[in-house]
Formats: sequence, C-alpha cells, structure tokens
Amino acid sequence: MPIAFQIPAALREFTSGRSAVEVSISEGKLSDALAALWILYPGVRDRIINEQGQLRQHINIFVGNEHIRYTGGLATPLSDGAVISIVPAVSGGCNRNPFSALFASLSDLGG
Amino acid sequence: MIGQLLGHCRITALIGEGGMGVVYRAYDEVLHRDVAVKVVRKDAGIDSYGRQNLLQEARASSSLGHPNICTIYEVGEIDGDLYIVMELVEGKSLHAISAGTGVPPESVLRYGIQIASALARAHDRGIVHRDLKTTNIVVGADAIVKVLDFGLAKRVGGGLLDAPTMSFSTIQGASSVSGTLPYMAPEVLRGDAADARSDLWALGVVLYELSSGNLPFEGRTGFEISSAIMREIPKPLGPPVPPGLWAVIQRCLAKEPLQRYQRAGEVQAALEAVQSGAIGLGAAAAEQPANAPPVTAMHNVRHARVKKGDFLLLVGTTKGAFIFRSNAQRTRWELAGPYFHGLPVYALAFDSRAGQRRIWAATASYWGTLLRSSDDFGKSWTNPQQAPIRFPADTGTSLKNIWQITLGPLDEPNVLYCGVEPAALFETRDSGATWSMVRSLFDHPHRPRWLPGNGGLALHSILLDPSNKQRMYVAISSGGVYRTDDGGSTWTAQNRGIRAMFMPDKYPEFGQCVHKIALHPKRPERLFLQNHWGVYRSDNSADSWTDIANGVPSDFGFPVVVHPHNPDCVYIVPVESDIFRCSCDGRLRVYRTRSAGAAWEPLMRGLPQKEAYETVLRDALAVDSYDPAGIYLGTRSGQLFGSHDEGKTWQKIHDGLPSIACVRTAIIEDGSLMPVQAPRKTAANQPTSKSKEISNSKSRQGGRRPKRR
Repeated sequence: MPIAFQIPAALREFTSGRSAVEVSISEGKLSDALAALWILYPGVRDRIINEQGQLRQHINIFVGNEHIRYTGGLATPLSDGAVISIVPAVSGGCNRNPFSALFASLSDLGG
Repeated sequence: MIGQLLGHCRITALIGEGGMGVVYRAYDEVLHRDVAVKVVRKDAGIDSYGRQNLLQEARASSSLGHPNICTIYEVGEIDGDLYIVMELVEGKSLHAISAGTGVPPESVLRYGIQIASALARAHDRGIVHRDLKTTNIVVGADAIVKVLDFGLAKRVGGGLLDAPTMSFSTIQGASSVSGTLPYMAPEVLRGDAADARSDLWALGVVLYELSSGNLPFEGRTGFEISSAIMREIPKPLGPPVPPGLWAVIQRCLAKEPLQRYQRAGEVQAALEAVQSGAIGLGAAAAEQPANAPPVTAMHNVRHARVKKGDFLLLVGTTKGAFIFRSNAQRTRWELAGPYFHGLPVYALAFDSRAGQRRIWAATASYWGTLLRSSDDFGKSWTNPQQAPIRFPADTGTSLKNIWQITLGPLDEPNVLYCGVEPAALFETRDSGATWSMVRSLFDHPHRPRWLPGNGGLALHSILLDPSNKQRMYVAISSGGVYRTDDGGSTWTAQNRGIRAMFMPDKYPEFGQCVHKIALHPKRPERLFLQNHWGVYRSDNSADSWTDIANGVPSDFGFPVVVHPHNPDCVYIVPVESDIFRCSCDGRLRVYRTRSAGAAWEPLMRGLPQKEAYETVLRDALAVDSYDPAGIYLGTRSGQLFGSHDEGKTWQKIHDGLPSIACVRTAIIEDGSLMPVQAPRKTAANQPTSKSKEISNSKSRQGGRRPKRR
C-alpha cells in the first residue's frame, strides 16, 4: 500500500530535494514505512532515530494529524494512503514542551 | 576481414557495425573458444594519445572480472587499427527487449541489480563507463546481464565532448555519440568531467527505459534532448511500476550529482530492497555501512580566500562556526562564515598532517550530532549519511555531543580521537571513515559512578604523550583524569592531590570535576590542570598533583594552555566562582606563569577592565606556534580577543559573535612570511607537512614552529 512522507526542509538534502516521498509497503506499521523511506534515502535514517533505534528527542512524527505518541509510537498501524509528517520541535535543548511549539514556523530551523 | 587472423583469433563472421568500428565473431585457436573482436577504425576520431589511453583503459577493464561485465581478453593493433578481443555475449540488448512497451517491473529489478553490481565493481577500480545505455547491455539466454564496452567509451566520448566549442548538432552528426546523448548526465552536458555518478544517471535512464519503453528525456533534436535533460522532470511512472522502483529511478535522475546515490552499491541495495519486498522490513538499509559522505556546499556564506602564509582562527559558537583569516602579522582580520548557521559547534580542529588541510567540526542539532570535515576551508563540508560516531548497540547509549577532536601522532595521519558526551573516547584509524569506541575506557568499573557536570558527563580533553605512543591521558567532567600506558587497553585514575570540593571525601580516587588539562611536548611528563576549584601541576605523568594557584584571584576557571615554545609558561583565565562564573571584579584578565606555577601575573592591556563580566570556556583559549607566540580567547558574550605578543597587549578581533565555545589556530605555511627570529631546536618529530596546527589540549602543541626556509 502507498504511504506518503512529508519531508522537512532540513532533510531534503537527503531526499534529492523532494518535500514528499511516496513508498510502498506490504504491511503496515510506521516502522515499516520508515524502513522503506531510508532504504530509498539512507541519509534520513540517522536524522530521525539515534544509534539505538529510538526516535530523536526533538523530532516528532504525525500520522495524519495525530502525534504518534498517542497512537503506538513506531508501532503505529498505518492505513492505505497514510500521510506521515516528520516535524522537528521548534525549541530543543531546553525544557519547554516541544509539542506546544510544533506549529510555529519551521522555515528558520536551518539544517 | 573474414578468415583473417588477429593475434590467435580467426575472424569467422560479422556481428555488427557501429560508430567506433566493427564487431566480429571470431574463434580463439589457442584457447578454443568463441570470442568477439571489436576493431576500432583508424578514422574513429582518436589521435595517437587517445589510442594509448584507449589501450590502457581496455587493459584496466580486462581486470574487472565480474559476472555482469563482458570480459576483455586482449587488446592489440593491426595495420593501425585497434582491436579488442572480448567475451562473446550472445543474447539480446536491453534496447531490443524493452522497445515499445518496456519489461515487467520484476525484470527491471533483476536487470537493474546486475547492472548496478557491475558498475559498483568498475567504480571501485576507478573505471567509469561513460556510455552506459540499453544498446550496450545484453541479456543472454541464461538471463544474465552483461555490460559491454567498459572503459572503452572514456576517451572516445569524453574526448569529443570535452571540446568546448562542440555544438550539439556536431554531436548529433557523430554517430558514435548521438546515440548516447539521451543518457548523458546534466553535468556532462555542461562540460564537467563524468564521474561514477554520471554512470548512475545513465543507469536511471536505463531503468526508466526498461520500465516504460520510453526514454525519460526526449526531443526531436539534440538541443531539445539536452534541454530536457538539463531542465525537465521525467514523466512519472505509475503502476505497474512500484513506487519504490520509481523512487530509485528518480534519485538516479536527480539533476545535481550530490543529490543522487553516490555509489552504485547504494542503487543495488535499494533495488534489492524493492525486489525482496524488504521495503516494509527495512533490515537491508539499516545494516548498510556508512556511505561515502556526501558533501554539502555552503552557499550564501562569505568564504575566506585562504592562501599560503595565511593564519586562521577557527571559532566555534553556539550558533555556528566562523573562520578569521589573517597573516603572520595577526593584526588585520577577515571574517568568513557562519558555517552551520544556527547549530552549536563545540569542537573544531585543523589537520595539516601529511599535507592535508582539513578542518574538522562537530555539529549538533535536533537531527543528531555529526562530525564533519572540509578540505577547502569551509566552502563545502561532508554531510555523512550515517552518523560516523555512534555508540555500539549493546551499550544502550546514544551520542549527545562531541566535545573534543584531537589529532593522532604526526606519523599516523589517519588517526584521530574524539571525546564525547556521555563520556567516552572514540578513535578512527582511517581518517574518519569509521570510528570505534574505546571499549576499555567505557567498561571501566568507575564509569557508573562518574557524575555529569554542568556541561553533561563529557570527555573533553585528550592528550597524547609524544615521547611514548602507548601513553595517553583523558579528562572527564566529572570523573577526573585517566591514563593509559598500554595503548588504550587499560586505564587508571590519576587524580592524587586533586580536590573535589563537592564530595564528602575531598580527595577521592576519581570523580573530580577536571575542566581542562594540558602538556608541553618537550616535557611530556609534566601536566597542568584547571580544576573545578584548583590549578594543579604534575611532574610525574599525573601520578600526583600539586596546587599551583599561587596568588591568582580565583582558582576557579575553565581553560589552561601551555605556551608553544616555553614549557614553563602557562595561561589560565580565572572566573570568580562556581556560582558566578564571570571574570573577577568585572575585569577580564588572563593569568600567565613563566615559572610553571610558582608565580602568576595578570595580562590585561587591551582587555575590558570595567564592568566586564565575561566567561571563557574550556576550549575557548588557544595559542599559535609563531615566535613571538599569539594567544586568543573567545568569550561567552561573543567577543574575540587576540594578542600577537604572548599576551602583553590584546586587540579585539571581533565583537558580536554568538557565544564562543571553541577557538583553534591554523598556520598555512609559507616560509617567506614567517616571522622567525632565530633558529630554534625543534621537537624530535619535526612535521613534514606544509601547514601546521596548534591548539590547546593537544600533544602537538608547541615546539613545532613553522620551519624556517
């Protein structure tokens, strides 16, 4: 089934400049779709998870409009045509809840 | 020609005719096998130089030995015509197979994997195909793909295209090249040299053609085709082409070589992943080794035009790195940067060993902590796909920060070390391609009891003993000083005499919050140490330490640096206390001892002496290796000061940088400009490289002055 990723500007260096990437997976957990993503674009992997396979602290992932924190984390089930957004927190390295700042402009995050 | 003997091959039949020459079927009368013989015509547009190259290329290709590469057996000359004896591949070209409708995706994947594998072998041997296309890829009856003409196209195609005045209509007219135009990468059309990534572009065209029966970039004339290649996006391939395959093709067809796969092996792995359905399982890519690092060009950044004789200050801040360029006079400065704007750069190093000129930088962001390097003074930086410094899986630990980049010995220019947070030491022996964690230190029984300091649990200092390759020191905050005498197999705590104010036992075996250590290569048994309260010296390789804070206004501070030429001369920058980590009395003063700590004197001419509440962090004080020596400091408030007379007078180099974490120096050698006053005895292992580096906490510090010419 097709799954669409929304790629943030900071990672497009690793996706041939593409802001959206479609992958096809045979069955559906978020971790499967992510694995498919970084088979195509290996550079994305280490930007999203650390060397222990955990989501980086200040990186948020949404399936549709739902933060995966509430839907099973990396095991979140995906349905046909799901849209996955990878979103950096706006303020890392401090104690502010990154979730509260998610919708601020991402354009000045650089990378 | 039929019936003629070429070497020991008798021509038996004509197979085909192309722009470069004629291909015959022949029989090898010695080895008793059928072969193909390509005879390159005298008039194929190759001069004698080109012929020589063609022969060399053909010979190089003959060594490729890969099941998907048509083997070249022999090359030679007859009557001025070159001939190439090669494996006879009987089958259909991919062009013939895919004409019109393309082939099913399963076949595209099967063929694509074999072609990518062939390219990977050739590229590993430094051979670029340059003329990959469906007409020179043949599928035999056994479904094995053979790529033909490896190495043969290089001089022919390249030579024609290298002529800057060549118009596309001319190329159209030259039949040997016209067929390849639709496979040419944009950079080749622009006149750049073709490299392995140009072959990957051609592979993308081949995969597209196989999938659809059509070329991705079409036109009625050469101009239209090349215009499409340069500007247009190919028409998307939908079902039955799976999205995974389409994504691989698109990435091969990225206009910018940097945006493509960088190695054929990556394409092969991606195609295999699509083929096996592993897109969805994902193990394959996760286990891929780190790829050759892609390089990111830094646009919209002011770059330094560095030349021989220049002197550089490398400055790492909480919002990026900067390069200040000057010369041996060290009075006028040109600012370049910011590099990695917005990202903290806590560690920098300049490596001039073995003639290299490489800047190393550690960057941190939401997306992880990376070690990157630049060989062109910041114009472009590696951006490794896989983070090169990573904790092994069984440690359950992940990298937070890189605090220190330290060069290995001068005669081992591929060796570097990194000190990281959480506290660990990493080592590379291949110039940073692969790093490994020093397990013996990570497994030290003390480690669970080390405590994070204000900056986290960091291994921030690494000192090599230039007189003893088996010996190395590291300092950890808060863990203390550890030493190995057996090349890193075992480590011992070396903290006797160092106070730990915050512990119930004031003189514990370990757990001290050491802020920085330094040594002079001429006296490697002697170390200086700035502690969280306390300035110390050891004269016995850190077996024991003596307090030397004789009369400094505060013995709290972060950096300690040894003079490059005088092992008794040391610089520190005291701050008031651990509560108020600012210069004492609002006066920014560097303290210097020229008696190894017996007495200290303040250095303040040119430094702010009124209401200046400044902090100089542990890596923000550095010396150069000129004589007289220069000394530099950066403050947390973003002021950069320098002294070219050993600290007597200071000038403000820049005001208004982001908070400064790290200062390093680099001399780009030009003997004629060196202000060397008198010959000086140099360290035993005098560097032979063209430029030199010096920074605090490095064993290379001092004693290695620019050589006088």
